[in-house]
Amino acid sequence: MSEPLPARSRGVIALLEENCTSCMLCARECPDWCIYIDSHKEEVVVPGARTRQRHVLDRFAIDFSLCMYCGICIEVCPFDALYWSPEFAYAGYDIRELLQERDDLRQWMPTVPVPPAHDPSGEPSKEQSAAARRAR
Amino acid sequence: MDAAPGGLGEPIRFVLNWDRRYSLWVFNLGLACCAVEFVATSLGRPEVVRLGALPYAQEPDQADLMLVSGTVTDRMAPAIMRLYQRLTGPRYVMSFGACSNSGGPYWDSYSVTKGVDQLIPVDVYVPGCPPRPEALLDGIRELQEKIARDSGPAVQPAAPDVAALTAPLVRPPGVPATGWPVP
Amino acid sequence: MTPEAVGQALVTALVAAATAEDPTPPGPPVAGVSGGGRFARATVDVPAGAWVAALRTARDAVGCDFFDWLSAVDELDQGYQVVAHVWSSRGRYGVLVRTRIPRAAPALDSVVAVYPGAAWSERETHEMFGVDFPGHPGLAPLLLPAQFEGHPLRKDFVLASRVVKAWPGATEPGESAAEAGRRAPQRPPGVPAPGDWTPPDWRPGG
Repeated sequence: MSEPLPARSRGVIALLEENCTSCMLCARECPDWCIYIDSHKEEVVVPGARTRQRHVLDRFAIDFSLCMYCGICIEVCPFDALYWSPEFAYAGYDIRELLQERDDLRQWMPTVPVPPAHDPSGEPSKEQSAAARRAR
Repeated sequence: MDAAPGGLGEPIRFVLNWDRRYSLWVFNLGLACCAVEFVATSLGRPEVVRLGALPYAQEPDQADLMLVSGTVTDRMAPAIMRLYQRLTGPRYVMSFGACSNSGGPYWDSYSVTKGVDQLIPVDVYVPGCPPRPEALLDGIRELQEKIARDSGPAVQPAAPDVAALTAPLVRPPGVPATGWPVP
Repeated sequence: MTPEAVGQALVTALVAAATAEDPTPPGPPVAGVSGGGRFARATVDVPAGAWVAALRTARDAVGCDFFDWLSAVDELDQGYQVVAHVWSSRGRYGVLVRTRIPRAAPALDSVVAVYPGAAWSERETHEMFGVDFPGHPGLAPLLLPAQFEGHPLRKDFVLASRVVKAWPGATEPGESAAEAGRRAPQRPPGVPAPGDWTPPDWRPGG
């Protein structure tokens, strides 16, 4: 494409695995049941404190043959692990090529554009209004 | 020079594939919203002319490529079969959009065929809901690369044996083999 | 005319017609309003015996000359509520005429004689809900394929895809799909438990 696509174009979904805690919200909210997540728990030994548990992602797959690009998974993720990317050229010869695993989803991350600036005449975002209030 | 099935040599195969992939006659089987994306693509004439996918076939008899764009309902399935049988060989099928790939957003409907590949063999799947016009052009380009690798003039796969088409019943994990769903 | 006025006009006309023809009508029609703001629509609930008379009165006395649609709502134990929306092209107002029919052997007189456009709507309601319309010229399926079994828009109709496919959200955070079968899995919203899929009176063979 010679000219950049509009901001927030919905081409493909990218996964930032470091942010994902496998909370399962995206898999549960997906209306097409097309996100598959496997994870396991690991203990993290913290010297001087009790051991903590961490969820480690084993499998994160999105079936783009079912995906309807509604964006509910991206909106609901509390940890900003999923992003929209405007890339669209990932057609496949076999339908199994459209089931993209963790590594394929990570490869889209460099194509995620910088989010557009807020509209100056719009409502301030929650972060701004919360920061403006005095701390109690 | 390797002899492909049918006894053709490499140069002739190359020329034939070149002809086929750069003069695709597209028959758009427009069933739902993805058909409108095809119309949007077809309005950008320079891009389509560059790929050679013009003119658009009026009937499947004149077409090489059948582009299934839109939701395949159970009621429409016999018509799709009849149209596929009227495509002249060598023929290619592209599934355009989530509904014809796998049922898409209507995967749980009582009246939708979950993907046109349940009826006819598909060569390229273009994901999207709906895919951009540029994604369709990319899908046509992928198909052209596939045609370039074709190994001979009569490259249509033989119709599979009916007995080979049986598959075991799908069972969700954790459900025992005999416990489903007993009234 | 406001929706309240339209509903009241139809009720008045129905009561007048019933008194003239049959002094003991099966039950009084009730007027109401559905929706709000610009989308408010008069509703009139009539007993099932007065269905054809209600629509004929709506066409003749209230001026609703345009038949919009007819469909049904599955109200489970309370039967099916059949709703028809008719519209007045002159006055730009409409009425939702509603009635209730029992769940066992649902049937309602056809209104094709009053509004010929109801023919296809009644065919669709018949195939989707199983409601019979005696008096209809030809109650063939409209949208479903010929081999389809069952009535899809009934609330006890099972969506087979949701039964067969395991919900990816059934796994808890920190466990894999292979372990999910060990304890009672969480179910997706709106999907009944596996034991609830088949209706209690279902027998093999239909």
